Amino acid sequence: MNTAPHILVIDDELQIQRAIRTILTEKGFRVTTASSGNEGLTLAAAHEPEIVILDLGLPDMDGSEVCERLREWTQCPIIVLSVRDSEREKVSMLDKGADDYLTKPFGIEELLARVRVALRHSSAKQGVQNRVIKAGDLTIDLAWHVVKRGEEEVKLTATEYKLLAYLAGNHGRVLTHQSILSHVWDPADADHTEYLRVYMRQLRKKLEVDPESPQYIITEPGIGYRFLADD
Amino acid sequence: MRIAAIFTRFSRILFAFGLIALVTGILFVLRDVLDTTLVALLYLVPLGAIATLWGVGAGIASAFAAFLMFNYFFIQPYYTFAVHRPTDVVILIMFLVVAIVISQLVGRMQASLAAATAREREATQLYALSTALAGLHDEKTIAQTLAQYIQDVLQSEVIELRVANEPELVAQLPDGATPERDPEWVLPMEAVKGAVGEIRVWRHAPAITSREKLLLQTFASQGALALGRARLIRSESRAKVLEESDRLKSVILSSVSHELRTPLSTIKAAASSLRSNAIGWDSPARTDLIAAIDDEADHLNMLVGNLLDMSRIESGALKPRREWNILAEIVGSVAARMKHQAKNYRIEMDVPENLPLMPVDYVQMEQVFTNLLSNSLKYAPEGTLIRILAFVEGNDVHVVVQNQGPQIPNEHLERIFDKFFRLTATDRVTGTGLGLSICKGIIEAHHGRLWAENVHDGLAFNFTLPLIWEGKAPPKLPMEMEEE
Repeated sequence: MNTAPHILVIDDELQIQRAIRTILTEKGFRVTTASSGNEGLTLAAAHEPEIVILDLGLPDMDGSEVCERLREWTQCPIIVLSVRDSEREKVSMLDKGADDYLTKPFGIEELLARVRVALRHSSAKQGVQNRVIKAGDLTIDLAWHVVKRGEEEVKLTATEYKLLAYLAGNHGRVLTHQSILSHVWDPADADHTEYLRVYMRQLRKKLEVDPESPQYIITEPGIGYRFLADD
Repeated sequence: MRIAAIFTRFSRILFAFGLIALVTGILFVLRDVLDTTLVALLYLVPLGAIATLWGVGAGIASAFAAFLMFNYFFIQPYYTFAVHRPTDVVILIMFLVVAIVISQLVGRMQASLAAATAREREATQLYALSTALAGLHDEKTIAQTLAQYIQDVLQSEVIELRVANEPELVAQLPDGATPERDPEWVLPMEAVKGAVGEIRVWRHAPAITSREKLLLQTFASQGALALGRARLIRSESRAKVLEESDRLKSVILSSVSHELRTPLSTIKAAASSLRSNAIGWDSPARTDLIAAIDDEADHLNMLVGNLLDMSRIESGALKPRREWNILAEIVGSVAARMKHQAKNYRIEMDVPENLPLMPVDYVQMEQVFTNLLSNSLKYAPEGTLIRILAFVEGNDVHVVVQNQGPQIPNEHLERIFDKFFRLTATDRVTGTGLGLSICKGIIEAHHGRLWAENVHDGLAFNFTLPLIWEGKAPPKLPMEMEEE
């Protein structure tokens, strides 16, 4: 029996289906495709895929509805495909339980990176968690609350550390402003993006080589932030 | 009020009777020296005056009164209504007849004079109204003017004009005083193409006369004509606008198809040559072709994005998602992303860290800086300096993106923000010709202002953005102290 990770692609555009299937199959994944929300939900229930790649513009139902219905019974990672300029939609999907998103048109490297992150997180959910995160010359020890740049320890304030720990713990994944604010501050502060802007800037100054073009803490414009660690 | 009207009529007759009594008194004193016939003649004087002053009714009533007085006081036997002499009977009857005829004649003359005056006044009002309406092309003003004129004529409690429109136009005098009850009179305004609206009149008393109704109908048809005309003018100008936008659309279409075809041609050429096996697997040309496909696909994506942005700006659907942002972060991330394109330029940034937080849409502001920078990169010669600076100016932040590129003739400084406006021939530069107009659209959606100016060694784009958002000044955050 084939034990390669199984990916379900729900997208009504056949060209996209074809491209994604070719690439992912080539990379050794098992791929099933669906052209509508209903078909996708049926196939998801039948195959229990490791990852679902879901297009936002489906003919029969709203992408967010598919997302919600999947979340009723499965925690498998959902990667949302969407076009540019639908930040609001993306954020609402992410807040509804989607794990990540990809903006069409996307490069294949991006797609594979998202798939890798998704697989790692689904295994992390099953208990295998990495306590030490490495990114370039940064080492973040989540167990001992120690952040080092090279051999030198970086002094962080309590909030800065909480922020970094949340980002690094979810490295590779996009985190929305809302989710960061409610995790690091308080759900009541979920609208105060300015906190995030200011602290993020401080954090970058302490961690990044060039804070203007960050290597570790990446801004996802209009959506949130993503921490990039070594794989 | 009706009672007041009755009262007026009644008091007129009283006055008339008073006058007759007065004349009777005077004649009574002179009775002995006056001949009966002369008395009868003298009575005709006040009767004529009464009919002139107070109308036919009062005249005839007074004629009877005078007849009785004459009979009672001046025909023998005195102080009775009995008449003995046959001549007196003739005199009396003649008197009555003459008195009534005079009253009627005089009264009728008065009435027709009054009618003539009223007609003249109506004609003047109608003339004034049509003159006033002639110069108006705006339906609201027409409705208001018409309402005012009707009100001047009718003196009603409330007058309301409803003009069928999108949305319905309502002109009311006095304003905002719609009575609880139904209007006393509703009159439709009919134009050639059917009803254009209606006039509602609330006037309980005096009741609207048929004469007033007639006048009002004339007014209404004048108003309807004016409204119809205004509508015609409007649809004509709309047709002109449509024609203009149609023309613009075909310009856009040809420009866009040109822009889209360029990257498509590259992609097609590269992909087909890769497919044809004409290029060896290890040939360096292969990598170049693949890179070309990749780059041109990105370029196409950008073009489509620009077009979408533009259509969104034009339809007013570009609503900034404003949040408190750090300008330096936005500028920094754009500059970092464009590092590769700008590698042959010097970029100098002076965006102070301590600038207040700005209420802007992060993504849209990135777009503004990207477009302004890429415009500078496109036109300024390589090796030159591009400066980005920002500073607080009152309640605004003023941002300057300055390059050492060619200056722009002053008369074109505004036009460079127009869609598809190009100073250089299209084949010499690439792009949609939309970048700057998108910037302008975004800045204006943020209630800011964007302009270009020639500076001593190049061109500067300036924009201002308000710091106050929904009445709130930028928040200042309580920062934690560093833990030592």
